[in-house]
Amino acid sequence: MKSTPSSKNFYQWFDPRGRSISSWGFIINRITALGLSLYFILHLIMLGQLTQGQQAYDGFIALVKNPIFAVGELLVIAAGVLHGINGVRIGLTSFGIGVRYQVMMLIFGAVISAGIIIFFGFRMFGGV
Amino acid sequence: MIEITWKITIRIPRQRQDEISAEWQDFSVEISPDETVLDAVEKIWAFQDHTLTFRHACHHSTCGACGMRVNGVEKLTCITPIREVTRNNGTLRVEPLRNFPVVSDLVVDLSRFFEDIERMHPPQVATNRQDNLLYEPVADESANLERLVDCIECGLCVSACPVALTDNEYLGPASLAALQQALAASIDTAEIDLADHHTGAWRCHSAFECSAVCPSNVEPGYRIMDLRKQLMQKNFKQWFGGKGKRA
Amino acid sequence: MSSKPTVLIIGAGFTGCALAYDLTLRGFSVTVVERGEICSGTSGRTHGLLHSGGRYCVNDEEAAIECIEENIILRRIARQCMEFNLGMAVAITQEELQFRDNYQAGAEKCGIPVRWMESSEILAREPAINPSVLGGFEIPDGTFDPLRLGLAFAASAKNRGAVFFTYHQVDGIHVDGQSRATNITVINRHTNQRIQLNADVIINATGAWAGKIAALAGVNVPVIPTPGVMVAFNQRLINRPINRLALPGDGDIILPQRRMAVIGTTSFEVEDVDYIPIDAGQVQQMVDRAAEMVPAVRQAGWRGSYMSARPLIQSGTDARSLSRTFKCYDHEADQGLKGFITITGGKATTCRVMAEKTADLVSSKFNISSQCQTSEFVLDSYRTFYFRQPAL
Repeated sequence: MKSTPSSKNFYQWFDPRGRSISSWGFIINRITALGLSLYFILHLIMLGQLTQGQQAYDGFIALVKNPIFAVGELLVIAAGVLHGINGVRIGLTSFGIGVRYQVMMLIFGAVISAGIIIFFGFRMFGGV
Repeated sequence: MIEITWKITIRIPRQRQDEISAEWQDFSVEISPDETVLDAVEKIWAFQDHTLTFRHACHHSTCGACGMRVNGVEKLTCITPIREVTRNNGTLRVEPLRNFPVVSDLVVDLSRFFEDIERMHPPQVATNRQDNLLYEPVADESANLERLVDCIECGLCVSACPVALTDNEYLGPASLAALQQALAASIDTAEIDLADHHTGAWRCHSAFECSAVCPSNVEPGYRIMDLRKQLMQKNFKQWFGGKGKRA
Repeated sequence: MSSKPTVLIIGAGFTGCALAYDLTLRGFSVTVVERGEICSGTSGRTHGLLHSGGRYCVNDEEAAIECIEENIILRRIARQCMEFNLGMAVAITQEELQFRDNYQAGAEKCGIPVRWMESSEILAREPAINPSVLGGFEIPDGTFDPLRLGLAFAASAKNRGAVFFTYHQVDGIHVDGQSRATNITVINRHTNQRIQLNADVIINATGAWAGKIAALAGVNVPVIPTPGVMVAFNQRLINRPINRLALPGDGDIILPQRRMAVIGTTSFEVEDVDYIPIDAGQVQQMVDRAAEMVPAVRQAGWRGSYMSARPLIQSGTDARSLSRTFKCYDHEADQGLKGFITITGGKATTCRVMAEKTADLVSSKFNISSQCQTSEFVLDSYRTFYFRQPAL
């Protein structure tokens, strides 16, 4: 039973069993951060294609018209919205503002995020 | 008067001090659902296995000794009724606190924990007004009366903290809350700079799991954020105060 | 070979810890063994009342004087773990009101500073008290944290050289051919390994278990574990210990501790102290009695109920004792066993003087004339007990 602190334990961050609702904010911020970072790298790769000339760029655009990428883009929007709105909560509480309401802010932020994600979902897939 | 008795299974990881890993052992216990998890552990020790080691003292949530993880959640076992954590014929997992070295069975090593807290010089006694959180009302006739402070040094917050899980250098919610409490009680040997460090108040990642598991109204998460506020106020004053500006 | 006489203390409750501190200050080499955590026996479970002695001032003058003297000393040396807002002894019934003069006379005789308060003052200070209270005394009671009081003594001893082996259970006391207790065997419960510890004198400070431990050495100590029930509530209903203005009885106290109120207690005998189940009838009785003083206990959320086993001594035994309020048996004198002393009985508030008298006895056995110094210094911070290096 390893019980001493170690960075090897990080996978336990993502186990919400027995944890309170506040931990969901923590977990979602971590997952969205990883997701957004991955997206950022892909974005740079895409930009890199631009330097390869007209044909490479056109080929890339044709690839991303695949509906799978649209889902991916919605996920990016979801990640950005969740991370950003929860980030506002984290920013405020880190200045000692509204800490006693942090759970309320989390729930409120999740509801707003859900609304925005659903809105963009309809915009992107509504016509299908 | 008919007393209800439940039959439950309690699963405990058994480990001696020189062993590197623990092995689960199941105990069958008959117990009233209104008794506590600590009562169940004591029953096992008293009637089934005298070699079981665990930590306890006051049995009424003032000493902080009996903290354990019950089904993976940090609890102060002397005030956790059986009915809250399992049902009749259910299984209960009782494990030692996380993020501390295990000595044996359910006993963990708290030496560093107490060293870290002591460095903050938190008092065990403060006035009602000093120890209440800033937003908690306190009646005038009792505002300046003494009380033993909320923090019972049980370690549940450290066990639940995801940063304490992965960073051995993090001061942890208990020490940071202790510092904030010492400052609130105007202890002049309390040094706020101890928290102004990447292993101090800035290391917290706002999981607020500490506040969720604290059995004693300490709200360590709130206190850490309050420390940040105080540190920022102090730092702004230092950066801009010299130019004659008010922070 | 150390020149200091070695003492082995069995039991790290209030008595064992205070004794370890006293003997260490007097120059003894002290080792303490305890089968659990510090104060994990009866001591940890006290509700934490720092007695003023008011409870005994009418019918037990000796106990009352001892209490108030120790109350004043503990307030000086153990302030770190004590909330002290004074306490009250309130009269709810006419009969209790009539007890006022006896109480006042008794308190004055014993040196306990008390002050009569009319009900209006009582209710102004403690609004949760029964509005039909008839009046009461302000008495110098307080609340201490049980584990931390024990730890403070233990830390002070450990920082000056005493060695504490917690989680070490005694399973044998060896008596040699000359009727001398020379060593004990203990099991280190963390490793399940047995070790032998020698000492010049062995002191049994195991409280309610004193009879069982004494039996390992072949001597009789007639301890009857006498538990009582206590109930803790989720609200700090009062800021001061509130007693009934009466002779000691069941359920006559409610006291604050952190954000709780604790009520107690009853008294009944048992044989086995390792586990005492809660009697729901007694719990209800406690709540009913406490509600007479503070009605709000009926609405307050329950935090927990638990038993604490006092070590009471059967009266009329041959054992010579140093005091009526606690029992210190020199087994060389009473049962011919050398090198073995039992100290038990007493109450938390008097732990320091129990240790003093026992340490006096131990010193006399080694022809060491030493002064008790434990009342002179503020105890070390209780947290230092857990430090990896002694803190000085």
